[in-house]
Amino acid sequence: MRLGPLARCLTSVFACAAAAAAGDDVWPRLVRESCLTCHSGEAPEAQLNLEPVVDAGLAALDLPHLDRLHALLRTGAMPPPEEPRPEAATLSAALDALDAERQRRAAAAAHPGRVTLRRLNRTQYNCTIRDLFGMPDLRPADEFPADDVGYGFDNIGDVLMLPPALVERYLVAAERIAQRAILAPETYQPPSQSIEGSEFVSLDGVTAGTRRGRHTLASSGELAHDVSLALGGPYEIAVTASGDQAGDEPPRMVLRLSASGESAGNEKREIASFDVAAVAEHPETYRTTLQLEPGEYTLWIDFVNDYYRPEPGGQGAEDRNLHLHAAEIRGPLHISQAMTPESHRRLIVSAPSAASDDWDERARAGLRPFVRRAYRRAVDDEEVERLVAVTRLAQPNGESFERGMQLAVTAVLTSPQFLFHVERPAERQAVGDREPLGDYELANRLSYFLWSSMPDDELLALAERGRLRDPQVLDAQAQRLLADPRSATFLDSFAEQWLHLRELWRLTPDPKRFPDFDDELRAAMWGETRALFEHVVRQDLSVLDLIDADYTFLNERLARHYGIEGVSGPELRKVPLADRRRGGLLAQASVLSVTSNPTRTSPVKRGRWVLEQLLGEPPPAPPPGVPPLADDSGKKELTGTLRQRMEQHRADPSCAVCHRRMDAVGFGLENFDAIGAWREADGGAVIDASAELGPGQAFAGPAELKALLRRDPAGFYRTLSQKLLTYALGRGLELHDRLAVEKIASGLAAADGRFARLVSEIVASEPFRFRQTEGDEP
Amino acid sequence: MTFAPRVSRRALLRGAGASLALPWLEAMRPTLARAAGPPDPLRLAVLFVPNGINMADWTPADEGADFALPAVLEPLAAHRRRLLVLTGLTHDKARANGDGPGDHARSAACFLTGCQPFKTDGAKLRAGISFDQVAAQYVGPRTRLPSLELGIEPGANAGNCDSGYSCAYSANISWSSASRPMTKVVAPRLVFERLFGDGQGAPAERAKRLAYRQSVLDHVLEDASRLEAQLGRGDRRKLDEYLTSVRDVERRLTLNEADPPADAVGVPERPPADYQEHIRLMCDLMALAFRTDTTRVCTFMLANEGSNRSYQAIGVPEGHHDLSHHGNDEAKKAKIRDINRFHTAQLAYLLDRLAQCAEGEGSLLDNALVLYGSGISDGNRHNHDDLPVLLAGGGRGTIRSGRHVRYADETPLSNLFLSLLDRFDAPIERLGDSTQRLTGLEA
Repeated sequence: MRLGPLARCLTSVFACAAAAAAGDDVWPRLVRESCLTCHSGEAPEAQLNLEPVVDAGLAALDLPHLDRLHALLRTGAMPPPEEPRPEAATLSAALDALDAERQRRAAAAAHPGRVTLRRLNRTQYNCTIRDLFGMPDLRPADEFPADDVGYGFDNIGDVLMLPPALVERYLVAAERIAQRAILAPETYQPPSQSIEGSEFVSLDGVTAGTRRGRHTLASSGELAHDVSLALGGPYEIAVTASGDQAGDEPPRMVLRLSASGESAGNEKREIASFDVAAVAEHPETYRTTLQLEPGEYTLWIDFVNDYYRPEPGGQGAEDRNLHLHAAEIRGPLHISQAMTPESHRRLIVSAPSAASDDWDERARAGLRPFVRRAYRRAVDDEEVERLVAVTRLAQPNGESFERGMQLAVTAVLTSPQFLFHVERPAERQAVGDREPLGDYELANRLSYFLWSSMPDDELLALAERGRLRDPQVLDAQAQRLLADPRSATFLDSFAEQWLHLRELWRLTPDPKRFPDFDDELRAAMWGETRALFEHVVRQDLSVLDLIDADYTFLNERLARHYGIEGVSGPELRKVPLADRRRGGLLAQASVLSVTSNPTRTSPVKRGRWVLEQLLGEPPPAPPPGVPPLADDSGKKELTGTLRQRMEQHRADPSCAVCHRRMDAVGFGLENFDAIGAWREADGGAVIDASAELGPGQAFAGPAELKALLRRDPAGFYRTLSQKLLTYALGRGLELHDRLAVEKIASGLAAADGRFARLVSEIVASEPFRFRQTEGDEP
Repeated sequence: MTFAPRVSRRALLRGAGASLALPWLEAMRPTLARAAGPPDPLRLAVLFVPNGINMADWTPADEGADFALPAVLEPLAAHRRRLLVLTGLTHDKARANGDGPGDHARSAACFLTGCQPFKTDGAKLRAGISFDQVAAQYVGPRTRLPSLELGIEPGANAGNCDSGYSCAYSANISWSSASRPMTKVVAPRLVFERLFGDGQGAPAERAKRLAYRQSVLDHVLEDASRLEAQLGRGDRRKLDEYLTSVRDVERRLTLNEADPPADAVGVPERPPADYQEHIRLMCDLMALAFRTDTTRVCTFMLANEGSNRSYQAIGVPEGHHDLSHHGNDEAKKAKIRDINRFHTAQLAYLLDRLAQCAEGEGSLLDNALVLYGSGISDGNRHNHDDLPVLLAGGGRGTIRSGRHVRYADETPLSNLFLSLLDRFDAPIERLGDSTQRLTGLEA
């Protein structure tokens, strides 16, 4: 439902009136009866004085306090368990009133917001280059300084900085990419293969062995090494050699080449021979150039004039030997059409002709389609002409057209039009305080959301025809992108960051306590999480499978870690689970490890992770003045299992309110050690994994905990919606986004949690398709 | 930037792969005094360590010149006469002051700025300009790089880093403006390229490339100004950030590029896996940058604030942050002391390097100001008074070192920044929460 400001205003008025009617009655009464003992006066508990609610109802509180109240009431944390509980009907009516009031405030505040101009982050840069040039092996941004993180993600415009150290890398990367994408004689570096002398093999057994990389022939004989050439053309073979000089001539070295492979004859063709006058301390390089066809070859290096004369006296025999230090095969030495990459052929679209003004025409023809893709929008003539002018910089230096085109590509890749997600109010059609995004802007939002990359030709074509503002077309495209293999980057990037799993690569569990931990296990841990997430997305299953499932993904290494039998081999595969200890993110070694300390588990960290990343109940900051976990006032030692020690200092009621639920989750996972292996005891004491999430929500062990969480999915739906919308927009969510989040989450719930629906809801949401008109921003 | 000749980078890097023994950068060998020229300039280095210090093993018992080195300072014994230990300084703006928890993030953001960071996970990021960047504004234009920001851990990569503060606050200490943290570089090879470029080829070739680069950047600037006209205010600020950096890079194109010293060989492709080797390589690069006068201002975060890195190599398998909440457990405090000592041993390595570079009658260390410390005092209490801070180096004869000085409680650390900026002829009257210049440093 899209509402203009006037309609929103009216709705608010009605909602407000209704809420006030309910709140009038329930809240003042509840507060009077159950809250004021602690939350009143000069120094109220938690610095929250609820007296104003008695007179003014919920209107007396701001939204963060309403949210907090809602969380505490819903989970039963307040009133505290030791106090008398209000009647169920009162509680339920109070929660309803609270919900209505929060909805009303969210609706009143709703607008689509604005995304700060943001640059490509490292992932997006790499993917964009890959797709722009069709060169998947280039990952230039791996060298860029790390992207800072805001709101849990690394694609947030507000914290994507542009320090000089990064701009330097932009320029260098642009030059290197341009030289890879277009081959120009001035920058062409023939590929080369280097072979150390010691890597050559002796097939005739004449070798006198290898020493410090060089290979010695002490009698006439030959050494061989295979060479594979993908392209035909002129090659240079350079052999670095030396000799022990004796007799009346230097060692003679003959280079031969034979075709290798099964069908080939064994004929060795001599290609060069050299007198090796150099001595071992000062080897020299002997070069020859020849024309070669593509294929498999063997390079033979022969020593043909052995000489040996024993000294009658028994010392200092005259001995002529050949030392092979290294060989290098370089080529093709010149550029040929066959070796040009696709990007080259797309940019250098026609051969030169005699016409003198041919240069500009060729530049224009190559640049226009390229710039449209690079800037991801329609381009005008002037932009193209300015780049044509850049290509002409090569002319006064007598350099090639290809060199000129490299310069233009460098300029494009350094331009803010390429580096930023530019959203221009070009077609401003403001409706009140908001305006729809243009087609190209939608194309970009969509492709960077689901591919971390530029729009493809289909998306650009739809944008050009003005079709993407049709919500159905937009949704169909979103589903197409999600189904495309390019969405793999999205799966990695979102899952890794949402779940804090990038920390997994930095993890250093104590090797004494956890001798099993190694990089293979680390990789398998991430593999399990990644595979589950991918499975849910690709099979369009309920996202609740992320909370709990009767299957998981294991390879032999991880199965051994989990104590599950019957899985062999390194590849991950779907494994049905006999019991429900495992299954779902909470019971995965990856998550359990990143929420642990190097030497021990941390129930608080685990609890907090579940509350924040899955349930959307971030525990509030500890109130000021809370002492650290233990102080030096000489209290008796804290002893027992970690749980017992924690419960001792949870005796303080001001800690207990928040820690009760947070710690309960952590305790429920205590059977998993700090690297996620199952255990029954900790430090000799049997683990008690039973706890209570809230009144009437007792559980024992991870299986029951997961079942409890799965049963009440609203919080998880909302949290996942928030995280994914943050990621999709590249900005933090504010109060004005809350209505949109609620709508996305209820859509997700209506579709039983299917992931594709979540993507549809996000793409259809107001913040994704609109933006706030500028003006009321500072 | 990348405009130096690359005589044979490939050979250079191959050499590194072959031998990984320290020191990688032979440039740090003692060198002969430079030929007569302009007097050697003053340099500023800042080394930051996270999570506070075990203060009982840091603060010398006695004041003045006759002080014994406590355990954490022991690794610096060889440089004792070059140390000035400053006790009693405070960063009030790292305290909550109504902003709630988040002492780690605040302490890093405040460390060199003296400003209260705005509590945000992203939008409206704001602290203040850091004093090293003020120094860079004054002396930077004379060198190829105005400043160099180094680190070991890249920007934190998940979650909000500390109680609602963006990770940008915990991962940076240098701020070139109130809203602009200077992202640090953690890969040694990229630092080397920042210093000496990735250029290759003959002088004529280099001159041509230089001209091309200037034209490319001109094109970029023109593109940007066209774009700017079409953007709203908020977006323009972001674009300006880019333009500032582009101009900075362009300025550098016009400066004479320095060739790396012939003996500066062997910066590895990838950062060393070993933490100490990584730190020492960065120290080598810092000394190299100073020695060649490629920059005069350098900051270095030995770890990000709040880092939970374990120090298995020195027998501490626990996470640093986890340990720092020691609850006055003596065993934990001993381990924190060991971590603290490990870090000061790295400082000693840097000081060795600087002392080995002969300059004038003395060494580069005589011409340097090396500030070392943390924005948190005791990691268990998260207090920001009584900060662990020391100054090493002679500051070109402007520091009377070899002493321990105690200041009145609540003396702003920012006052020290003002005094240090004086030495760079930066006529600044206020920085962060400074109240006046810090006395008692002088010779």
